[in-house]
Amino acid sequence: MATPPRSGVPLAWPEQPGDLARQFASRDALEHELKQLFPQAEGGLSPIEGGRRRAEQLLGRIQPQRYGKGRNFLDGPVTRLSPYIRHGVLTLAEVRDAVFRRTRQRQESEKLINELGWRDYWQRLWGQLGDGIWQDQEPLKTGVAASSYAADLPDDIATGSTGLACMDGFIAELHSSGWLHNHARMWLASYLVHWRRVRWQVGACWFLQHLLDGDPASNNLSWQWVASSFSHKPYIFNRSNLERYSGGRYCTACPLRDRGCPFEASYEELDSRLFQR
Amino acid sequence: MKHPILWIHGEALGPSNPALLAYPGRPAVFVFDTALLEGATPAAAISLKRIGFLYECLLELPVTLRQGDVAEQVLAFARAHGADGIVTSAATDPRFSAICLQLEPHLPLQVLEPEPFVALEGPVDLGRFSRYWRRAEGAAWRVWPGG
Repeated sequence: MATPPRSGVPLAWPEQPGDLARQFASRDALEHELKQLFPQAEGGLSPIEGGRRRAEQLLGRIQPQRYGKGRNFLDGPVTRLSPYIRHGVLTLAEVRDAVFRRTRQRQESEKLINELGWRDYWQRLWGQLGDGIWQDQEPLKTGVAASSYAADLPDDIATGSTGLACMDGFIAELHSSGWLHNHARMWLASYLVHWRRVRWQVGACWFLQHLLDGDPASNNLSWQWVASSFSHKPYIFNRSNLERYSGGRYCTACPLRDRGCPFEASYEELDSRLFQR
Repeated sequence: MKHPILWIHGEALGPSNPALLAYPGRPAVFVFDTALLEGATPAAAISLKRIGFLYECLLELPVTLRQGDVAEQVLAFARAHGADGIVTSAATDPRFSAICLQLEPHLPLQVLEPEPFVALEGPVDLGRFSRYWRRAEGAAWRVWPGG
């Protein structure tokens, strides 16, 4: 099906040779042009559209109170504003004010304001650390030697063919849409670093390649939080946690549903299996 | 500065960009940073999805689009418009500061701050989020009209 034209707002000054196009017959035509202009960039466009218009639609739908209660569920009422905030299409101050306009009692919106605070925190920390966000902030608390973590992304991760329905599902979504629910990011990062023993920087690079909201500070420091170089202990999860917050959507169709799920254990068992403390 | 050009970068692709607010109608330019997109260390080359997202954001702003070396392209745009300076908005990425250093010997550069999420005076302890939030939460809520 043909998509509607993509027309840039008019400019009040003349074009010069070498200016990139601002008028496209369709979104497909934009994609075609971008493939010519950026031949090294992998893949196609995301179904998620850029632009202020779309950002304002999403901003008009935020539900701070429901967000506070259900944000950890994959189908929960999350805002999906992160790509727009990351690139300043909406400022944090604008989102804050939109939340406040919907707030009758402070408690209803505290969680959403707190999450905006995380974004501000990561940015302040980036200002302080600069390119230091690529280095471990603290030693890992896993008891595993730093040299034991692999320096490359395993092939089955890169191709989304681990055989685990959950992880393959997350990878497919990351690659096709460039957006993942925060909980899915945490599970996938934890799987890569702790179950597969891959350096967090490898995962951080991979996410930055694909995430529309890919911000080096939020991304790298969150990977470090999972890895335990920016937290008191490594972040892990188990099957019952994933099954609960994903509504069981992956486990029911997983080939490892009945046997061999690497996440099917208590936290104590996983801790002793994964770490050398 | 009477006739500046505006340099728009990837941390401020909306109408609240303070450079656009301060100088409405002035010629503005965004440069797709070739080295960054192709994987300037330490990050990897970025996918077309991300470039497409930026491009769609940029189509809704009055901005000329270029690709190449950012400082070279911004300075060429300034020359083409006979500009007496460059105005941009503050950014956190260290790459931004490096580009500013390349621009400054050639033209006056004004860097405008966007409206902050919270204004905090003096040094802020960023050792952990909880320490930051103990200071920031109250300040963030101070602007809530219901408070």
